[in-house]
Amino acid sequence: MADIRSKLTEFYSLEQMSLKNTVIHKIHPFSKLISTIIYIMCVVSLDRYSFQSLSFYFFYPVITIALAEIPFKMIIKRVIIALPFCVFAGISNIIFDKTIIFSIGGFTLTGGVCSFITIMVKSFLCVASVLILIATTPFSKLTLQLKRMYIPDIIIMLIEMIYRYIGVLMMQADSMMTAYKLRSPYSKFPHIKDMGSFIGQLFIHSADRAERIYKAMKCRGYGTLHIKQIQKKRMILNDYIFMSVVCLSSLMFLITGGQLNV
Amino acid sequence: MHMADALLSVPVGAVMLGASIGLIAYSVKRIKENDVSEKKLPLMAVSGAFVFAAQMINFTIPGTGSSGHIGGGLLLAGLLGEFPAVLTIAAVLLIQCLFFADGGLLALGANIFNMGIIPCLIIYPLLFKPLVKKAASTKMLSVVTFISVVIGLQFGSFCVVLETLFSGITELPFNTFVMLMQPVHLAIGAVEGFVTAMVLVFVYKIRPEIIESSYTGDKIDKNISVRKIIGIFVVITIITSGVLSLFASAYPDGLEWSMENTAGTAELEADSPIHNSAEKIQENIAVLPDYDFENGEGSGTSIAGIVGSAITCVLAFAIGGIIFTVKKKKSTTEK
Repeated sequence: MADIRSKLTEFYSLEQMSLKNTVIHKIHPFSKLISTIIYIMCVVSLDRYSFQSLSFYFFYPVITIALAEIPFKMIIKRVIIALPFCVFAGISNIIFDKTIIFSIGGFTLTGGVCSFITIMVKSFLCVASVLILIATTPFSKLTLQLKRMYIPDIIIMLIEMIYRYIGVLMMQADSMMTAYKLRSPYSKFPHIKDMGSFIGQLFIHSADRAERIYKAMKCRGYGTLHIKQIQKKRMILNDYIFMSVVCLSSLMFLITGGQLNV
Repeated sequence: MHMADALLSVPVGAVMLGASIGLIAYSVKRIKENDVSEKKLPLMAVSGAFVFAAQMINFTIPGTGSSGHIGGGLLLAGLLGEFPAVLTIAAVLLIQCLFFADGGLLALGANIFNMGIIPCLIIYPLLFKPLVKKAASTKMLSVVTFISVVIGLQFGSFCVVLETLFSGITELPFNTFVMLMQPVHLAIGAVEGFVTAMVLVFVYKIRPEIIESSYTGDKIDKNISVRKIIGIFVVITIITSGVLSLFASAYPDGLEWSMENTAGTAELEADSPIHNSAEKIQENIAVLPDYDFENGEGSGTSIAGIVGSAITCVLAFAIGGIIFTVKKKKSTTEK
């Protein structure tokens, strides 16, 4: 139950954070979106032993997070979610890859350890860059960019509606669980034999709600007018500068590799 | 089963994204033809949010002490029909990736494929639907659902294995990986299948019209031949494996795997000749950067590299720290 509550607060805190007004928040969503994608692609393309060049990729998230005033705790939380599978795959590298990279005294660094660190750092960087995008851009503006990329209306509407209803239905699930616990105080929640009717109940509530939403939407003229009145914000010089700095530096670090270090 | 960015290479991510986008576009087209988009949209959206909320409810898996939650691919397909379900699950995965760091942005295509396309567009129309049409009782409905979910999850987890190995980021050998993934997902699938079956039966008992409409309501169903769908998948598989094997040339064993995969021998013995030779080839050719490490010549530069990268990290964090403190000071003075 605490799980639902914490997820809900996380969900809402991200939304609140995206409404702040910092330098990063002011940058055009499109340029942030493209930068994030290019950045992740570059990070992921790096060779598994090349943590020399990987270190350069710290600049973007660390600086941007500081500029955008995102609490560092938030990233750690998110990295932990993404971590288990990465650790699992990374540890196998330590076991199977015994290539010795170098040794000083009694300390030997094997390729496995090296690639383990690389995987961990990579997952941190990727998670951080997505967080930057989402914590500095209101979701509705982000979905507008999808329109720019010629993604069909139905998908965009679907994404926006799901986004709006997640909070509501999570609360519903939460209160259903509270009710269940109150009625059966000594049993562990929820017994698997109750799962079917429990989740089924949740679905039926959802379906009823969908019907009411649809009627309400119809009453307000849904389907009669097209949503064309989107005020397209134009990209200004700053947006282009941000985008080119992030993209070009990411690409440069990727191409030059660790050589910049020497 | 959500894949993270760090474990996927760009080519694999891009190919999976391409395949998923193609199939999503196809689904959009089907929905538009069906003209259910407008009326079904709220139901789809709320179902998406429902899956989200349902995934928050962890149930204990009997006997193990661990807990799991439903995946929802086949559940959505059962409730909404295959094409709306694909779109819904794709949207759910996008939101999960953006807001909860569950699965990466680059890995989105792979995740949509493993958890959305496979249950909704492969298992549901080819296995679930034909069987359910013959099923007369709710008991049969639950049995069919159970089987479909288990098989779907097995396919999905096998795809995770393939995608990870083609990316060449983990050193885990193919058979070990498969041996780890498949049984685990068999257990998860059994529980998920059980719960999904109960949910579908429950909804069927209370609101039979919802479930019936999802598989009898689509009148166009008779027009789409199963052959067409299979054809599409064959083409996608060929393209995917072709492109993958091109990119996998850096990791020669990847080609070997894809050959075995198309030959249909999924169960590999640890000391099969192909695997051994693949390992040998990998040891000899692959991961070129090893070379200067192995010779020992590169050791000097790599120590320098480690020191250098440490300095770079410190520098990055220092800049971040300075910006942070300056901002904090500013905000306190403003107050």
